[in-house]
Amino acid sequence: MTKFEKSSLLLMLKVNGEEMQALLEGPHVTLADVLRNKLGLTGTKEACRCGECGSCTVLVDGTPMLSCSVLAVAVRGKEITTIEGLAKGGELHPIQQAFIDSGAIQCGFCSPGMILMAKALLEENPDPTELEIKEHIGGNLCRCTGYIKIIEAIQLAAKRMGKGAA
Amino acid sequence: MSTIQLKKFEYYEPDTVSEAAELLKEYGGSAQIQAGGIDLIPRLRSGSIKADALVNISNIPGLEEIRYTEGEGYRFGAMTRLRTLDFCPVLKAKYPAVQAAIHQITSVQSKYMGTAVGNLCLATPASDVAPALMAYDAELTIAGTGGERKQKLCDFYLDYRKTSLAQDEFVTGVFIPEPAANAGDAFFNRVRTHADIAKITVAAVVTEKDGVCTDAKIAVGAAAPTVIRIAKAEDLLKGQKIGDDLFMAAAEEAERAVAPISDFRSTAEYRREMTRMLTYRALQEAFERAERSER
Ligand SMILES: Cc1cc2nc3c(=O)[nH]c(=O)nc-3n(C[C@H](O)[C@H](O)[C@H](O)COP(=O)(O)OP(=O)(O)OC[C@H]3O[C@@H](n4cnc5c(N)ncnc54)[C@H](O)[C@@H]3O)c2cc1C
Repeated sequence: MTKFEKSSLLLMLKVNGEEMQALLEGPHVTLADVLRNKLGLTGTKEACRCGECGSCTVLVDGTPMLSCSVLAVAVRGKEITTIEGLAKGGELHPIQQAFIDSGAIQCGFCSPGMILMAKALLEENPDPTELEIKEHIGGNLCRCTGYIKIIEAIQLAAKRMGKGAA
Repeated sequence: MSTIQLKKFEYYEPDTVSEAAELLKEYGGSAQIQAGGIDLIPRLRSGSIKADALVNISNIPGLEEIRYTEGEGYRFGAMTRLRTLDFCPVLKAKYPAVQAAIHQITSVQSKYMGTAVGNLCLATPASDVAPALMAYDAELTIAGTGGERKQKLCDFYLDYRKTSLAQDEFVTGVFIPEPAANAGDAFFNRVRTHADIAKITVAAVVTEKDGVCTDAKIAVGAAAPTVIRIAKAEDLLKGQKIGDDLFMAAAEEAERAVAPISDFRSTAEYRREMTRMLTYRALQEAFERAERSER
């Protein structure tokens, strides 16, 4: 059995392929807090902090999770991907590029969560229908775009990524 | 956005069911089981529940398992995620109303993280998952320091957000019996927007033979302090020749059996009326499916 006391602890996390360490006040600190406030990875946004808005979405071993509702200690040893981990060698990920090309980013607050949800979707299902896209981003709120351009961006990314693989 | 920070607690990851039960006993009600945490963590942050310790059961081997045995039924564990159930072909084929109840939950992240058992243990009357499982007569396996017990889901809820669980107990899994070959089901709910929880939910599972109802189970959510079965409507249906008049009579029984509240989602009056309408439609659909059942 593993136990963490109420006292502070040094936690190792694997974020975007890098081993990182953070000093936590206790096991009650959330993953979102660690990413934003301890590791300076402020690409992950927090809006509602109760699981309703999806803006704090990150991938944990490829699975979308709401980092506001995950304890950092619970994901030690797992592969955490944040929006900062998508671009490689200064080049944007095709989903990021598609969001820009489709005008799917306005204020940008929902974009990290939307883009990571799109990544999880396209990995599971490289050629999703419009309905599958809509259902998949059902837990992510956007207050600017009206969603249509986001859906188009994911369709564009699917098309481009499908071409790359073929 | 809530700016409140989580209060400190101890955190455990037990390796076995009995270790978890021992911890619950040791803390005497001040420890909380953590499954997906999707409800627990926000609730701890808002202060609506308090905990000296969290007992994360996700490392206990076997709790994520799904097992279906033909002719017997379908089992899933306390750590089986809603997403896994949503995309389980057996669940969809054998218990379509359960899959439909899960599928219509909009937040995909909450399905990747959240468990079906966590949903049941919230004991909220507005669960969509509980009515569907209750209509299929699901049974819970409950573990405590003194061993294991089984309880039907329809007997699990005592009051609003109150279950039969003792301080040292937690749910380890769910069993849904094999439906009869001639069964049909239906799931309906009404929501303000798709992302919101239900104002009213009705699930029905029925069987028929030669145009006569041989069994019926009806469960209603968000219309009483707990999700409830509607025994009077079920009794009225059994042994009777099926048809719209019978369905409406049963739906009127359902309307009489509920005790809804008025809140910002809906008035009590609307919930009563929708209990009747959705029960009527659920029976129509469930018997239609029963008649062309090829399970
Ligand atoms: C954005 C959002 C939308 C949602 N929409 C819907 C919806 O449309 N319909 C619907 O029905 N539900 C909905 N839900 C509820 C959701 O299904 C539940 O919150 C989730 O399934 C809880 O599971 P969990 O594993 O995360 O539980 P946790 O958060 O880990 O636990 C919840 C509670 O149950 C207790 N608990 C958990 N597991 C056990 C166990 N095995 N034994 C005893 N006690 C236990 C915990 O101690 C805690 O008090 C929604 C939730 C969110 C966040």
